[in-house]
Amino acid sequence: MASPTTTADAAIPEKKGADDNYLTHDKGFASWAFTLDHKRIGVMYLASVLSAFALGGVFALLVRTELWSPGRTIMEHDTYNQMFTLHGAIMVFLVIIPGIPAALGNIILPLHLGAKDVAFPKLNLASYYLWIIGCLCMLGSLVTNAVDTGWTFYAPYSTTTQTNVIPAAMGAFILGFSSIFTGLNFIVTIHKLRPPGMTFFRMPLFVWALYSTALIQVLATPVIGITLLMMIVERVFGLGIFDPSLGGDPVLFQHFFWFYSHPAVYIMIVPAFGVVSEIIPVFSRKRLFGYQFIAISSLAIAFLGFLVWGHHMFTSGQSVLAGTIFSAITFLIAIPTAIKIFNWVSTMYKGRIHLDTPMLYALAFLWVFTIGGLTGVFLAVMGVDIHLHDTYFVVAHFHYVMMGGAITAFLGGLHYWFPKAFGKMYDEKTGRIGALIVFVGLNLTFFPQFILGSRGMPRRYYNYLPEFQGLHQLSTIGAFTLGIGFLLTAISLGRALKNGKPAPKNPWGGVTLEWTTTSPPPYYNFHTPPPVTAGPYDGYENLVYDEKIGGYVAKT
Amino acid sequence: MSEPSTETQAAKTASAPPPAAHEGHGHEDHGHEAHDPIHAANPHLAHHFDTPQQQFDAGKLGIWLFLLTEVLFFAGLFCAYTVYRSMNPEVFVYAHYFLDTKLGALNTCVLLISSLTAAWAVRNAQLREQKMLMINIVVTIACACTFMCVKYVEYSHKYHDGLLPGHNFQPKEQIWELKSFRDKHPEAAEYAEKLAKLDEKKAEAPAGGAAKPSEGKAEEKAEKIERPTEEELEPLLNAGLVGPRSLDPSAHISRPRMAHVFFGIYFFMTGLHGFHVLIGIGIWIWMLVKAAKGQFGPTYFGPIDFTALYWHLVDLIWIYLFPLLYLIH
Amino acid sequence: MSDENPESKDNGPASDPEGSVKTTETTPTKAEAEALHMLAKGKPDEPTKNHRHDHGGAPHAHDDHGLAHTMPIPLLFGVLGALLVLTIATVSVTSIDLGHTGNLVVAMVIATIKAALVCTFFMHLFWDKKFHTVLFLTSVLFLILFLSMATADRGEYQHLVDEYRAQQLQVK
Repeated sequence: MASPTTTADAAIPEKKGADDNYLTHDKGFASWAFTLDHKRIGVMYLASVLSAFALGGVFALLVRTELWSPGRTIMEHDTYNQMFTLHGAIMVFLVIIPGIPAALGNIILPLHLGAKDVAFPKLNLASYYLWIIGCLCMLGSLVTNAVDTGWTFYAPYSTTTQTNVIPAAMGAFILGFSSIFTGLNFIVTIHKLRPPGMTFFRMPLFVWALYSTALIQVLATPVIGITLLMMIVERVFGLGIFDPSLGGDPVLFQHFFWFYSHPAVYIMIVPAFGVVSEIIPVFSRKRLFGYQFIAISSLAIAFLGFLVWGHHMFTSGQSVLAGTIFSAITFLIAIPTAIKIFNWVSTMYKGRIHLDTPMLYALAFLWVFTIGGLTGVFLAVMGVDIHLHDTYFVVAHFHYVMMGGAITAFLGGLHYWFPKAFGKMYDEKTGRIGALIVFVGLNLTFFPQFILGSRGMPRRYYNYLPEFQGLHQLSTIGAFTLGIGFLLTAISLGRALKNGKPAPKNPWGGVTLEWTTTSPPPYYNFHTPPPVTAGPYDGYENLVYDEKIGGYVAKT
Repeated sequence: MSEPSTETQAAKTASAPPPAAHEGHGHEDHGHEAHDPIHAANPHLAHHFDTPQQQFDAGKLGIWLFLLTEVLFFAGLFCAYTVYRSMNPEVFVYAHYFLDTKLGALNTCVLLISSLTAAWAVRNAQLREQKMLMINIVVTIACACTFMCVKYVEYSHKYHDGLLPGHNFQPKEQIWELKSFRDKHPEAAEYAEKLAKLDEKKAEAPAGGAAKPSEGKAEEKAEKIERPTEEELEPLLNAGLVGPRSLDPSAHISRPRMAHVFFGIYFFMTGLHGFHVLIGIGIWIWMLVKAAKGQFGPTYFGPIDFTALYWHLVDLIWIYLFPLLYLIH
Repeated sequence: MSDENPESKDNGPASDPEGSVKTTETTPTKAEAEALHMLAKGKPDEPTKNHRHDHGGAPHAHDDHGLAHTMPIPLLFGVLGALLVLTIATVSVTSIDLGHTGNLVVAMVIATIKAALVCTFFMHLFWDKKFHTVLFLTSVLFLILFLSMATADRGEYQHLVDEYRAQQLQVK
């Protein structure tokens, strides 16, 4: 792993005193490794998550390269199984789940609340180190005999395969606790550390989204913990709960697994909704439409998300009764999700839209997520799912949501808050080009997979029929396009860290609290606790753009 | 979800301290805080809560959320238990004869007493009853250790009797040899013993019982050993040993085929619970050290309160484990 | 986790497990002495109503320092007594035959009463914020949701498992 400190070290300018901020407050490795400052922990998370993202991305490219032609292209089939497993496990457990909440959320949440820190700073640091330990466990499996079960660890294969399942499962177990502690911390922070005047319905929607996410993290993650533990024990002692040859029930494993992992899908996407809800009103220069609906719909999604896990199991042997219930509730999730989409679109209507990089990502999100979300409704129909289950259609669907939804919003949020977090402006032009390439690459990679899947190409297969080759190659080209887009973005942000222009207080004209403090924020975030007298999206009209400082200031 | 509405009150209270609450340390007995050397050394720590009440409330909410995760952590095991018990009740009836109810009840009482002392310790901390606080913590730790000792005795019995989960399930004693079973179902025990002896004989003389492993269902098997009728199987049925699902074809007639799953669940549940007890002992020792330094008083007793809450949850889980594992009828 | 504080002689600033420094008192103040007095009498200080310090100033409430309710000792022992009695009850009821399900239901009802006692009194939920009760019940609700869906589904497809096993036995 890249050292978590490198990114931030580069950003420490040589000054103190009046310009004292959290990046320059203390120096040296220890001041980062043992920091209790939520912003520094967030920055460390960010660096770590991005490194893991790069690693997972490499695996993705290897998988796509292998699929360039039927049969062997660059690797053996066993290696291929390990590659897609590692890609999935790393992306899910190490990148997307901690991505927005732990990295961006840690930096932004207390700023959004006008608080000095999260409620339990030491727990916050502990959950970062749990992340590191979990990551090392996973890498331990990677460098020895990498796990090949798929990220789902389905029993009885996971309890019998010869690969190193235990370290990977332990890794996921530990990462689960990291996630629980982050969620717990956020819930308490939101309940107890809001500033005077900020009622629940004056919280920014990013905070609402993190709150909903945290509820899922706290309620669902323990179940995956115990499931993985049971799987490990089954593997070691032959417990007989999941393995049918010992009298166990593999379908039960799937119930256990998806009781967490379906809500986990909302751990991945709900924070993305929050980011998009922040970006769209600011770059439309218009009050957010339907604030309360978006806020409540986050909670509704979190709640409904618990009732639909069985839709992953339509073909697993689950009973028709359970299938019908799960299918029906799954349709319901489309309602709160659509409420959000309509509200975002309505916010843009008659707004003055500024197509800056964060907004481009937000628009990309709207496009991509709508496709991803709607294809999810197809898959919720039991009859259709029997046909599409375990095909590339499913792969395309969840990549449109995870990759197109969560990662796009993550990048949007990263660009949106980058000036605030690091006090530097990135090059707008490169940022926009990066966003466009990512958008094109995304669709090029995953759209052909919808067609592949509906024609019957099964997922996770090493070999395929020659008639699928054209679409597979298109998808591989798309994957490399995506890679180039990410690389460009990384270079752009890296250069900005090094010699970007100093960022003003409020480069985008946001009205949430984080824009009232300096960029980067001082050690205690705010010199005086900011009073809150209005909603989080009121008052765009009171700000004007000042050419001289390159940011927005209050109208005089 | 009802959180927001329930919390409107909390929302109001959270906003109660005026904006300058933090800067305004100069009043009442908080005035010295700003000059405290510890706060000067760790200004960050000093500043993110405004009042002890806010910190206490935050801690309390935090620990309750943690207890929430603990409940759901055990949920998986309870789920496995429920599924297997509802599908294979005979396994649980069979297996519970191997558990010692007296030791289980003893442990229940020990944990309940430790719960009392834990709750009492909270009161002591709140009232700064230094001596009683120490005594109560020590008693709690002692109870916890007693609990673990009893568990050790139980586990070592199980180990010696070959009652281990999964592959290692090789019971040394047959069920009809158990006193607990004989007392309750003397007829069934006798009958099962007879069956087993017949069985052994057949095994020795391959002419009669060559197809021994191929016999699965209780009825089939009994047929080969002369009398199959349901009436005759009744003692076993009454004892709950022959359930709706077939018996273990590879074992003696008196063992249900999934018996090893029970011991898997038993060891997993009690083991995980025991692990929590061990963690609890560790935290209580830490609290004892803090208490010895005289750190707790009316404005600072959160750690004791939170540890006690955790301890009560450990107790709660045992309250359910005890009847579920030991008191099967 | 904790940063112990060597300077504090008796009750100086100390951190809680979550790592934040408490505002503490160096000597018991008059207000605190009063609070101690009040608490010792076992009088609940309206913890659910007014949790905040009123920094507005008026030197009023002695309950300023009572952060939470204090359990009276007789109540503590009363609850323990009830719990022990219920334990004896649940053990002895096993010898009465109410059927497999009947006994299970009785045992679970008794366990739930015991759990409720522990939650309400030992865990202070009776005096605590209602939100904590809601949270705890939520976890139980999700537990039940998980148990019931998984068990119900298993019941539905159990016949497939049985058929499979019967087949396996025949193969053997």
